Amino acid sequence: MNEPLVELERVTIRFPDERPVFRKPAAWIRAVSDVSLAIMKGECLGLVGESGCGKSTMGRAILKLAPLYAGNIRFMGEEIGRLGEKAFNRYRPRMQMVFQDPRVSLNPKMTVFRILSEALHLNAAVEKTAYLEQAVKLLDLVDLRPEHIYRYPHEFSGGQQQRICIARALATDPLFVVFDEATSALDVSVQAQVINLMKALQEKFDLTYLFISHDLSIMAHVCTRVAVMYAGRVVEVREAAALFESPRHPYTKALKNAVPVADPEFVKQLGILKGEVPSLSDPPPGCPFHPRCAYAEDICKKEVPGISPLGEKSWVRCHLHEQLWNLGKLGNRKELS
Amino acid sequence: MYSSNPARHTPASGAVLQVADLTVAFNTPHGRAGILEGVSFDLFPREILALVGETGSGKSVTAKSILNLIPAHLREAGGRVLFQNKELLSLPEKRLRAIRGRYISMVFQNPQSSINPVFTLGEQIARLINLYLPGRVARIKKETGCSRKNAVKAVAEEKLKEVGLTDIERLLKLYAGEVSGGMAQRYRIALALLSYPEILIADEATSALDVTVQAHILQLMKNLCQNKGTAILFITHDLGIAAQICDRVAVMYAGRIVEIAETKEIFRNPLHPYTSGLLKAVPKPGKDEPLSFVPGIIPDFVNAPQGCRFYDRCDRAMEICRERKPESLNIGDRHVVSCFLYGSGAQKR
Amino acid sequence: MKARADSYDMMARKVSRDHRKVRWFQLRRLLKRKITFLSLVIMVVTVTVALMAPWTAPFPEQGRGAVNLEHRLMPPSSNYLLGTDVYGRDMLSRVIYGARISVFGGAAIVFLAALIGVPLGLWAGYNEGVSEIVISRTVDLVLSFPAILVAMIISILFGAGWFMAIAALLIGWWPWYTRLVLGEVLSAKGMLYVEAARMLGYGKLYIIFHHILPNIMTPVIVMMLLDLGPAIIAIGLLSFVGLGTQPPNADWGLMVWEGAPNILSEWWIAIVPGFAMFIVVIAFNIFGDALKEVLDVQQ
Repeated sequence: MNEPLVELERVTIRFPDERPVFRKPAAWIRAVSDVSLAIMKGECLGLVGESGCGKSTMGRAILKLAPLYAGNIRFMGEEIGRLGEKAFNRYRPRMQMVFQDPRVSLNPKMTVFRILSEALHLNAAVEKTAYLEQAVKLLDLVDLRPEHIYRYPHEFSGGQQQRICIARALATDPLFVVFDEATSALDVSVQAQVINLMKALQEKFDLTYLFISHDLSIMAHVCTRVAVMYAGRVVEVREAAALFESPRHPYTKALKNAVPVADPEFVKQLGILKGEVPSLSDPPPGCPFHPRCAYAEDICKKEVPGISPLGEKSWVRCHLHEQLWNLGKLGNRKELS
Repeated sequence: MYSSNPARHTPASGAVLQVADLTVAFNTPHGRAGILEGVSFDLFPREILALVGETGSGKSVTAKSILNLIPAHLREAGGRVLFQNKELLSLPEKRLRAIRGRYISMVFQNPQSSINPVFTLGEQIARLINLYLPGRVARIKKETGCSRKNAVKAVAEEKLKEVGLTDIERLLKLYAGEVSGGMAQRYRIALALLSYPEILIADEATSALDVTVQAHILQLMKNLCQNKGTAILFITHDLGIAAQICDRVAVMYAGRIVEIAETKEIFRNPLHPYTSGLLKAVPKPGKDEPLSFVPGIIPDFVNAPQGCRFYDRCDRAMEICRERKPESLNIGDRHVVSCFLYGSGAQKR
Repeated sequence: MKARADSYDMMARKVSRDHRKVRWFQLRRLLKRKITFLSLVIMVVTVTVALMAPWTAPFPEQGRGAVNLEHRLMPPSSNYLLGTDVYGRDMLSRVIYGARISVFGGAAIVFLAALIGVPLGLWAGYNEGVSEIVISRTVDLVLSFPAILVAMIISILFGAGWFMAIAALLIGWWPWYTRLVLGEVLSAKGMLYVEAARMLGYGKLYIIFHHILPNIMTPVIVMMLLDLGPAIIAIGLLSFVGLGTQPPNADWGLMVWEGAPNILSEWWIAIVPGFAMFIVVIAFNIFGDALKEVLDVQQ
C-alpha cells in the first residue's frame, strides 16, 4: 500500500575525534548509533532533538554528505548507502536539502539565477536555453518576483532567502526533501509563512519530507510522524499529536516539559532535567539516557533498549516504558523528573 | 470601546529604571537610519519585564543604549534613561563604568564569546570577587584563617553552586572554549550577579542554548528575581519565555514599543494589530492547524515611513496611520498601547 | 499551457534587459568619485606612455642609455623638461624607459606571485592532509629567508640583469599569497553553500574555482595592489647593489640611487624618479580601494 521511500537500517555514523594525517584516529565520535527508520512516501517525518543528538548528521547521511559506517540506507528500495560518489549521482536529483542558515547556504557572490542554474543542471528535463524561463517559474512557485532573478542573496530578507533555497531544492524535480533546521534562523512570523509554503508545495508536487528541528513546538504543525533522538539514537517514534499528548519515553517527556508554552494560563513548573548530554566519544553503556533519567534501573545501565512497537509505525526504546505508562508517570500530570 | 480615559504615558515613580522617549539613529553610508523612535518603558524592582520583538525591532539596540555600549561616533541618541536619578545617556564614561557590572549587569546571547578566552574561568571570577566582594573575602579569611586565594575560591564555589554548576574545582581551571554553552551561560550569569546588581539585562540569553538547558536558566532567573529582588529585563523573540516567567511584556516593532501590559492581559487581550498577529503566528505544540503569519517585511529604516511604521502590514490600518505616528496611551490598568485604533483618534467602527 | 509558458518567457526576457541596465550603472558608480577617476587616468597614462616609449620619449636613445655629455646636469628647461642627469641624458625619457622595468616588472612580480601562490593555497586549504603539510612547510621554508637575500643569492648564481631580478624576487614573493589564501580557504570550506554544491554533486575543482575562489578574492586583490609599491622598490633595491638592472638600462630605483650623490645640488636627478614611484603607487592604491568597495557586494 504505502511504501517507504527512504529506509534506514541499523545505521551507524562515526567521525574521528581528531584527524591526524599519518596515523589512525584514536577516538571516534559516534554521531548516530544503530538507527532504523522508515520514511513513507508522501509523509512528513519530523526528527527532533537537542544539539549533538545526531539528527543533522542523519539527514546528511541520506544525501551522502556524511559517511556511513555501518548499516544500510535504501531509496525506493535501492541500496544507496554504500555507493561511490559517481554511482550516487543518478540519485541526486531525486533528493534535495534545504539548509539551516540561508545567509550562508547561498553563495553571496552568485546571483539568484546562477544559484538556481547550478541546481537546474541536475534536471535532465530542462535544456540550457530554458534555464532562465525555468528559474522564473521556480521563483513564482515560492512567491518571489521575476525581477529578483539577478539580485544577490544579501539583498533579500531571511524569509525570502530561505524561499530561494526551497526553489533551489525544487529545481531538480525531487521526490524527497530534507529540511535541516530550515526555520530555526527565522523570525516567528516568517517561519509561519515558510512552513505554510512547504506544506502547500508538498501537496502540489506529492513530495516526501524529512523535517529536522530542535523545536518541538512546530513539529505537530508540519509533520505527520515525529522521531525523537537522543545521543545518536532514536528513542521514540509516534504520530505528531500523540507524541505531544502522551509521550512514552522519559526523555520525550522531559523535552516537552522544558518547552516554554506561549500561554500564561498554562504556567507550569518548567521541568528541570539534571545532568549534561553524554560525551559521544565515550557514551555510557546501556541506554544513553540512564544517567539523567529519574526512573533508571539496573537493566537500563547494562543493556541498550530494544524497539518496542506501540502500534502502526510507532515505537519506543525504553526498558520501562510499559511500567512508567501504567504508573501515569509520563502523562499530562504535574509529575516531573 | 477603548476611549475610557486614555492618558499620555508618563514615567512612573518607584521604577528602578525609567526609559523615556529613547531615540537612536545610526549614520550609515546610505543616510540616517532611525533605529529607535521614542522608546518608553519602566522597570520596577522584583519584576521580570520581557522585551519581545523580532529581527529589526531594535530590542538589542535598546539594551545596549541603556548602558551606552554603542560607540558614540556611530549613533545619535536622544531621550532619557534614568537610573537612581542619574541620566545615563549623558553620563561620562568613567561614571558609567562604575555602574556597568555593579548596578546594572548584562548577559548576552553567546556565552563563549563574552567570556575572555585568554584567562581561565577561575582567574576571571577571582578578579571580580576581589572587586565586588572584598568584605566577604576578608570575613572568610578571618573566620577560617585560610589564605586570601582560598577565601576567594570559597566565595567562587558558593556563587557558582547557586547557578547550578557542579564539579566546580575542575571548572575553575578550564577556559571558555572548553565548556559547553549551558555551563558557560550559567557561569556568565554568576559573574553578572556577583555584585548583587539592581538590574539584570538578559539579551537573548537563552537563544543559543538547548531547550532543556534553557529551562534551567529560566528557572534560575525566576528564583533570582524572587529571592534577591533583582529586576530583570529579558529580551527575547520567544513568546513562550515571556509567557512562562515574565510579569509584564513589552512588544517592540521597528524601533517602537507598540504595547506593554501584564503577561496574562497581553495574551488574553492583545490590543495592537502586530501583537495579535504575532500571537497567532506562534506555533502551539501538539496542534496541527495552519499557522497564520504577518505578511510583509519591516520598513526601511533610512527612508522610514512618515506615519506608523506598521502601516504597510496592518490589516486594520486607517488614513491617519499613514500620516502621523501614534502616541502611547494608557488603556485600563497598566496596559499601554501605541495605536490609532484606541484613544481620542479612534474612529467608530 | 502554451500561454503560460510564453508569459514566463516574456517575463524572463524583460528581466534580462533590466539587468543589463543595472550592470551599466554599477560600472558608472565605480568612476563617480573624482579621485578614483583620476587614479584610473594616471594608471592608464603610465601604462600607455611606458608601452609606447619609443614614440612618447622626446629622446628615446638617451632613454635607452645613450650619453649626451655636453648637456650634463642641466636643470629642467624647455628642451629638457625634467632636466638631465649625470651623463646628460634627458630625465623625462629616462623616466619613461624606467617605467617599463619598474612598473611592468613590479606588476609582473605581483601578478605572477598571485598566479603561483593562490592556486597552491586553494589546493592545500581545500584538500588539507598531505598536500597541506607539504605546501605549508614549503611556504614556511621560503619565508624564513628574507626575500632580498634570496634574490641576491639567485642573482649571484645566475647572473644579474632585470629579468633575473624579477625572477628571483618572484621566488621569495609567492608564499605570502599562499599563506593568505590558506586561512581564507579553511573558513570558506565550512560554509553551507559549499555543502549545498557538494549535495548537488559538483566536484572538487568546480567548487574550488566557483565557490571558494570568488569568496576569497577580495583580500587577494587588496594584497596585490598594496604589494605593487614594495615590488617596485625591491627591484630598485637590487639595482642598488648592482644585481638588478644593469646600466645603461634603468629602472626608477636605480635612477634614484644614481641621483643620490647629487641630491643637494642637482635635486631633480633623484627626486623625479622617486616622485614617479610615489604617484604610481598611490594611484594603484586608491583605485584598488574603490575596486574593493564595488567587488564587495555585501554591505
